[in-house]
Amino acid sequence: MSTGTTPKPGQGAPTPQNAEAHDTGRSAASNARGNLSNAQRFLLDAAEKSVDMVHREIIRKGMDSYDVAHAKGRTRFAFWDAARQRCQEIKREAVNHLDQYLLEFEKNVIAHGGHVFWAATSEEACQYIADLAVKHSVKTVVKSKSMVTEEIHLAGALEKVGCTVWETDLGEYIVQLRNEGPYHIVTPAMHLNRKQIGDLFRDKFDEPNLSDDPQELVAAARRKLRKAFFAAEMGISGANFLVADAGCIAISTNEGNGRLSTGVPRIHVAVTGIEKMIPKLEDLATLWPVLATSGTGQPITTYGSLIGGPRRPGEADGPEEFHVVLVDNGRSSLLASKEEREVLHCIRCGACLNICPVFRHIGGHSYGTPYPGPIGSVLVPRLEGEKFEHLSSASTLCGACTSVCPVKIDLHHHLLENRRDFTEAGHVSAGERFQFKMFKTAMVNPSLYKVGGWFMRKSLRLLYSLGLSGSVLDPLRPWNKGRSTIPLAKQSFRAIWKKELDHGE
Amino acid sequence: MANSGSRDLILQRIREGLKTQVPVPPPMSDEAVIFPPVEDPMARFQQECKANLMELTLTNDAGASAQQIAGILSSLPEGEIYVQDAPFLRQLMQTVATVRTVHWSSEGAPRESAQATISLAEALVAQTGSVFVTAACGGRGISVVAPCHIVFATTSQLVPDLKTALGSATRKGILHNNSFACMISGSSRTADIEKILVQGAHGPVRLAVVLQAGN
Repeated sequence: MSTGTTPKPGQGAPTPQNAEAHDTGRSAASNARGNLSNAQRFLLDAAEKSVDMVHREIIRKGMDSYDVAHAKGRTRFAFWDAARQRCQEIKREAVNHLDQYLLEFEKNVIAHGGHVFWAATSEEACQYIADLAVKHSVKTVVKSKSMVTEEIHLAGALEKVGCTVWETDLGEYIVQLRNEGPYHIVTPAMHLNRKQIGDLFRDKFDEPNLSDDPQELVAAARRKLRKAFFAAEMGISGANFLVADAGCIAISTNEGNGRLSTGVPRIHVAVTGIEKMIPKLEDLATLWPVLATSGTGQPITTYGSLIGGPRRPGEADGPEEFHVVLVDNGRSSLLASKEEREVLHCIRCGACLNICPVFRHIGGHSYGTPYPGPIGSVLVPRLEGEKFEHLSSASTLCGACTSVCPVKIDLHHHLLENRRDFTEAGHVSAGERFQFKMFKTAMVNPSLYKVGGWFMRKSLRLLYSLGLSGSVLDPLRPWNKGRSTIPLAKQSFRAIWKKELDHGE
Repeated sequence: MANSGSRDLILQRIREGLKTQVPVPPPMSDEAVIFPPVEDPMARFQQECKANLMELTLTNDAGASAQQIAGILSSLPEGEIYVQDAPFLRQLMQTVATVRTVHWSSEGAPRESAQATISLAEALVAQTGSVFVTAACGGRGISVVAPCHIVFATTSQLVPDLKTALGSATRKGILHNNSFACMISGSSRTADIEKILVQGAHGPVRLAVVLQAGN
């Protein structure tokens, strides 16, 4: 998905459930925004979402219940901070010796009868999987949740070769039916309430009597997806971890869709970033509880699956073929940077999204990438380049993200470093450069600053008294146009300072 | 290998990148306490099973276990059951009073229509109330396909925590001898709709553990 506002590529293709994929409000709006740059579209989407009161209420409720569960979950640890540090150490060890661990992993998977494919780019990964599908005459593909497959646009590539792709995670299935991308990396449909989901299912499933009761909605989705699981020839999953010493992938799921996707079809393909590596199986003793706590507040995810190869002789079931697709797609370029290398420690728990005041207001779709929130704003500009650089400014730098990161990534400083690097690389508009030049001139010249301040106070007061706040004449227009006017101070700071000093004497 | 080009390219990029030295702070002591120690594994296991919405029954002998399993089966709708083909379960099933058709794991994968599955476990974990299964415990589908999964285990299989369970799995080479293993901590569930917990998403609604004293 190149932008969050266009429909996911390929997902409009006819599948049993979205043959008449309806245009959501979002994609309808995006048509009118076709000519805008990514950054302009981001600003419009964000502004729109932040005043959407229904959205705000849904997210507030969702995040409130997460906050409670997360806080309670942390009390199960003797020392939460020690757990975070251990996880940081595990990931640091893996990333600092990534080549060695990848080779150890590869050797073990091959010894188990599996295949390992190294994909330098998205295209290469999609090509390999599409070729596999063609070779095995695959018609139906079931997918469990994987953000890497969103990143590389896998569903579209498979639909092009005639496959029907079913998202089987409930949240992913809901957004697929709506022809949207995931809203959140852990809970893809958290922007919808039960009524909206009920309407969607009643419409798509031809079950007009379905109620809005979550239990009933889940059962309806189960009935639909059940058929897909047993019809599918290929199952696609991501991986939460690649375990080097055991030569297996680890997948955490609650619903069990990940288990059916990887266990029932004839072929299992796991698509994953190279940075998901961990050295030892035993590392999961810390990582599993920490991931679950940070992701949902659970003590541990319901199913921690470990898959090392295809079905062995003597085993009752399992796929005949097991493929692991290791996706680089720009990740290795982060290794050379002292500062940025640790971004590869991310375990995609979503904690930084949940706590981020920006995410909570503008929502996941506004970011226009499968990785929204602070980690996305750090990572995506590095991986996808200039058209996402504006995301590094989508932060208040409050540091809340850093405070919750379970592998202690210094997220808000990375946002700052991104901004610095993009500015140094000259990716700044002439207007902005001019403004900063003016700002600098005023800042180093006290009398100029004094006169400038006086002039602004006078002229803005006049402007606002004429009701022109937020108009094109207002230098504070970006803020004032959608909000009540910023109140102007009666006196300058300099005047107040001087008065206080005089009193002091 | 078909794509040795990209393989070499990625490895070369990684090695090039790793030439940059990033200072590594001294690691935390191995003795650092992350989780409160599990003092009484049995009590903890019971407590965690309850929190995970699992059904746990303690039994004293095979007779009581068979009775317990028969009781669970009689509460389920009509339909076949799927059982791990292990000598102990063969023996046990002879004494379980049921009129259901039984399919054994040696006959192939479980069918979608199975009402219940019965398997053994590799280990039980007190810390998280988990059942650790491997492909040797009747395969992959046995623990996820039917609405009810019944696990038979003995108290000697109970370990205090994840570290012990995974450490022992490493020593035994579990993942080199099985294509699959899974740490199961409760029934299948989702909270994707308004963060409201619903049990029985794609996997079992019920996970019942029959835990027999001894080994």
